[in-house]
Parts: sequence; structure tokens; C-alpha cells
Amino acid sequence: MADLWAALSPGWQDLLLALLLVAPGLLAGLLVLRGLRPLPLAGAMLRRFAVVNALFVLLIAVSVGLGVGLLAQERGLRQGSARAADKFDLIVAAPGSEVTAMLAAVYLQPSDMALVSGAQFAEIAAAEGVEFAAPIAFGDSHQGAPVVGTTAAFVTHLAGPLAEGRLFAAATEAVAGAFAPVAVGDSFTPAHGQGPAAGEEEGAEGGAHGDFAYVVTGRMAPTGSPWDRALLVPVEAVWEVHGLANGHAPDDPRIGPPFVPELMPGTPAVLVRATELWGNYALKSRFTRSDLMAFFPGTVLAQLHGLMREVRAAMSLMAVLTQVLVTLSVLIGLMILVRLIARSLALLRAIGAPLRFVFAVVWAYSAALIAAGAGLGLALGWVAARVISGVITARTDVLVSATPGWAEVHLVAGFVSLTLLMALLPAWLAIRRPLLTDLRG
Amino acid sequence: MPAPALHVRNLRVTSREDRVLLEVPQLSVDAGASVALRGASGAGKSTLLHVLSGLVRPEAGQVIWGGQDIAALSEDARARFRRETLGLVFQDCQLFEELSALGNAALASAFAPAAERARLRRSAAGWLAALGLGEAGPRPVDSFSGGERQRIAVARALAASPPVILADEPTAALDRANADALGADLVALAAEGGRTLIAVTHDAALAARLGRQITLADGRIVEDSDG
Repeated sequence: MADLWAALSPGWQDLLLALLLVAPGLLAGLLVLRGLRPLPLAGAMLRRFAVVNALFVLLIAVSVGLGVGLLAQERGLRQGSARAADKFDLIVAAPGSEVTAMLAAVYLQPSDMALVSGAQFAEIAAAEGVEFAAPIAFGDSHQGAPVVGTTAAFVTHLAGPLAEGRLFAAATEAVAGAFAPVAVGDSFTPAHGQGPAAGEEEGAEGGAHGDFAYVVTGRMAPTGSPWDRALLVPVEAVWEVHGLANGHAPDDPRIGPPFVPELMPGTPAVLVRATELWGNYALKSRFTRSDLMAFFPGTVLAQLHGLMREVRAAMSLMAVLTQVLVTLSVLIGLMILVRLIARSLALLRAIGAPLRFVFAVVWAYSAALIAAGAGLGLALGWVAARVISGVITARTDVLVSATPGWAEVHLVAGFVSLTLLMALLPAWLAIRRPLLTDLRG
Repeated sequence: MPAPALHVRNLRVTSREDRVLLEVPQLSVDAGASVALRGASGAGKSTLLHVLSGLVRPEAGQVIWGGQDIAALSEDARARFRRETLGLVFQDCQLFEELSALGNAALASAFAPAAERARLRRSAAGWLAALGLGEAGPRPVDSFSGGERQRIAVARALAASPPVILADEPTAALDRANADALGADLVALAAEGGRTLIAVTHDAALAARLGRQITLADGRIVEDSDG
């Protein structure tokens, strides 16, 4: 059996699991409704107390939507952050925290890092199996957008062909990220630092690099990463604006590698791409040593996600607990609603309706509320996930695309099944109510 | 189905506080008879009607309809008995407000076997027409007057062509003209079908139309006379 299950594709496994989860509730429904036609009367009762029933459906929908949205969001965030790191095969930096280096180099989070020296960079760039090595030099910004010094090869590696314009070809040119706050043809002056405080000193001595301006020559296609808001400039320019050598001889107007090791001031991080995939492992091994550290951002991210597993488990538990509480609320709510329709049920019993029919009317009435609430909840969860994804994307520049998937379908299927089974209880209690008392209202 | 005769023996119904609500040593009603149950409020008329319909199970005694003691039946069996034998008319109509007149008159079709549903709907439509509401079938019941609503309730009671009609104050909520018209229709329709009609009523005019008057006081039959 386990082998058979393992042989199924994930899609089939998810579909079957969803069916298995919802099956108990549907089976109960089939047994309850078999040979009966309670829906017209259940519909009449739904219309009779339309406002109360609508509120009840809304309660279920909001609760289910919260659970769905929470789960989808967590997964979307995980996938989005992984996607943002996708282009960063191997990072080499000065020894320190891999997490800090990854946050700085991949997610452009401001941090102070020791530098990889010119000689070390030259060694990395010249190593066997390196397709290219790109310095990533950050620290400046413009209107909140990080200004990152690198090479043209890295720009192409990161985003492919430009969406607009051309790559930078001189130290005074820049390429804008897809959503950077500048247009092609604009000029801008970089400011020291990143984040909200950056540029506050602008105008003051040492705040902005007032005597230096970049011209935007091109715009990258969207990458779904914080690089979409970045301004990418030749790394030589970053060194120059800080009054340092630019990696080339004074009479050499070129930009880009190779750099003269003695004239290269250093860079916080180096992105390395190997000619072969397996080459990355060899390079990682080679540059993991006392004066350098090499790491795969994907691995570090996986470790971070691993650390977050407990948080994820807690979130999942919260989602399930919420659903359990909602399920209990649904049960209590149904019992209250049954009191509202008790007189109609008593009339049915008085004119000779079989108890099984009355039972089926109450169950069908409950099932309609549950199904409507769950369906609306799934839709609400989808909308909530989209809205929250948009907010997170806007705030972090990590493209988070959270749409409900199988996990959410399973959650809703389990919820629907459980509540449909629990709806048997108010139906049973309904036919145990005192007939004459209910008939008199 | 021919109307069954009724035989009640040693009937006793008490309240939770053990107060005697009804004590009827013996009562018989012939098949096809029409009977008015009369008496002051609290005399036990409605309780007797509820016992006769199987809505209330007595503490003691037998309620035998056509040889079948319904007091000894299970709840589901008593429901079946009501479904097949009785047409009930309540004082306050007891209609499903969200259904049409025809939907209410044919309410029993909701739980009838599939083969009988169409016949029940046809029958309900026919009774609505017979009661002067032939064109009103599709209209929602909340658009009808009190008298019309009670006619819909009567059509519902007759839809399954029951041999017995039990009515609890069927004209109490109606004005004089409507009460008279409905009372006349009810009696006539029962008589035409050879049905047994037992009605609890304070309405002297309706009682006068019925063949037999039974008066209760303190849960006991104190007078039993032919009209």
C-alpha cells in the first residue's frame, strides 16, 4: 500500500488526500440524504432567517479564510525568499556570519562587513572552474534605493537582457532595477549609507557624494528580489566616490574585470558562478578557509527555514486550533439556529414527516451553511493571501506570491468533513426536541 | 382508505406535576362522523385532540383507530399513522412563510415517496382550487389574508386524502364571515369524502354544523350529545 502511494505523483497524492479528508463528511451526507428530498425545505429555512444565516456563513468564512491565508502566506514567503536567492550560486566573503553576508549580498540588507581584498578577489576570479566572479559592493543609496557596485556580467546574470536601455559602459553610468525610483536618462547623486537614515546628512559634509552623479542607461527586467529596487553601478565608481583607487591603472579607462589586485580596495562580497554546477562545490570547499568564507545562499536560507520550522509548526498549530475552535463554534451556532427553526420542524413532525426526513432537513440546512462558509472562506483566504503578499512584496521587495494550494484545500476539506459529521449532532437533537412545545412556539 | 372508527379506553394524561389533564374512560366515534370538542379553556379539549393525533402519548389507556392502538406505537410509527390517516388543521395555520401556497398545501410531498409526489401536488392544487384559491398557488403565503392562510392550511390537511381530519380551533383567528365560510367548507369537504372530522372549537356556529357535541371540563367528558 505504501509502495502504491509512493508511486503516485504528488498531484495525485494531494488529490486523493483531499478526497479522503472530505469523504467521511460526504459519506455521512449520502447516508443522511439517501432517497430523501429535504433541500427545498432546508432552502426555505435558510431564506426564513437569511440575515442570521448570512452572519453565520460569514463567521465560518472569516475563520476558514484566516486559516487558509495564514498557511498560504507562510509558504509564499518561504518560496519567495528562496526564489530571490536563486541567482546567487556561491558567495565568497570575509570570515564572519554567513547569515549576515547572505542578508547583505542577496537581500541588500544594510550591514557592516569586512572586505575581500584585491588579491583574494584576483585568486577567486582566476580559480579553475570559475565562469565569472563579480564584486558586490554596497553601502550607498539614492532615495532609499541601494546603490550597488558590481560588473555588467553580474547584471546580465541577475536579470537577463535589460527591459530597457543598455548596460553601463562607464563609471558614471548606472542600470536601474525594475522598480527603482529613477527613469532611464535620469541623473542621481548617491548618498552614504542605506535605509531610512541614509541621505539625512545630505548636503552636510560627508553626507552625499555631491560632486558625483550617475546617468541611468538601462533598466533591468523584474527579478522578484530586492534587487528590483536597487541601482547597479560599476564597482569602480563605488570605489572612486569614496576616494579610493578604482582597480585599474590611473590611465586605464576600462571598467570591469580584470582588476589590478594592488589597486582594488576590496569588496564586501563576491558572487561566484562556476562553469559547471558541481564546480560550485569544489569552489566552496576551496574558499572555505581561515581568511575567507564561501557559502551557498540557498543552503543558508534552508537552514534559516529549518530554524523557522518551529515557528511554522506553531503557525500551523494555530491554524488548526483556530479551525477546531471554529468547528466548536459552528456546532454551538447550529444548535442555536436549530432552535430558530424548531417550530417548522415540529410542524413537519406533526403532519407525519418521518424522523429521518426531519433529521435530513436539519443536516442539509447545516451542510448548506458549512459549505457556503467554507467556499467563501477559501475565496476570502485567497484574496487575503494576495493582499498580504502585495504588502510584503512592497515592503521587502521579495516577490511573495501566496496563492492557496493543496495544503489549504486539505485544511478546508478536513474542516468541512469534520463539521458535516458534527452537524449530525444538532440534527439528532432536533428530532429529540419536545414536539408539542415546539409546535406551540 | 375508508375512515376508521375511533375507540378510546381508560385514557389518562397527567402533567409533569402529576396533575390530571385528561381522564376519559371510554369514547367511541363512528367512521365518517363529525364531532365538536367543546369546553372552557383548560378543559382538556386540545389535549384530547393531541392524544387522538398521536402528538402526545398518554400515561395510560388506549387510542384505537381502526383497530390500531396508536398509544402503543413508536414515535416514527405514530408519524406514519398521521401521514397516512390524519389531516391536521391548527389554530394559527402553521405555514412555511418562504414557500408558496401550493408549496405549503403540498408540504407532504417533500417527504412522500417519489412515486406519490406528483399526485400529492396535483391533489393539493385541486384542494386549493376547491377552497377558492385556484389561481394563488405560486404566490408566497405571506401575501395572503388570515382567512386565506387558513384555507391553505385546510388544503394541506386534505392533500393526502386522509380519512380523518383533526382540527384545533380552525376558525378562532378568523372574522365572522371568514369563520363561517371556512367552517362550512371544512364540514362539507369532510362529509363529501366520508371523512371523520373532529374539531376543537369555541365557535358555536362551527360546532352547530357538526353532528356530535362533546363537552369537556377538568379533563373529563361531561356531556356528549348528537347535534
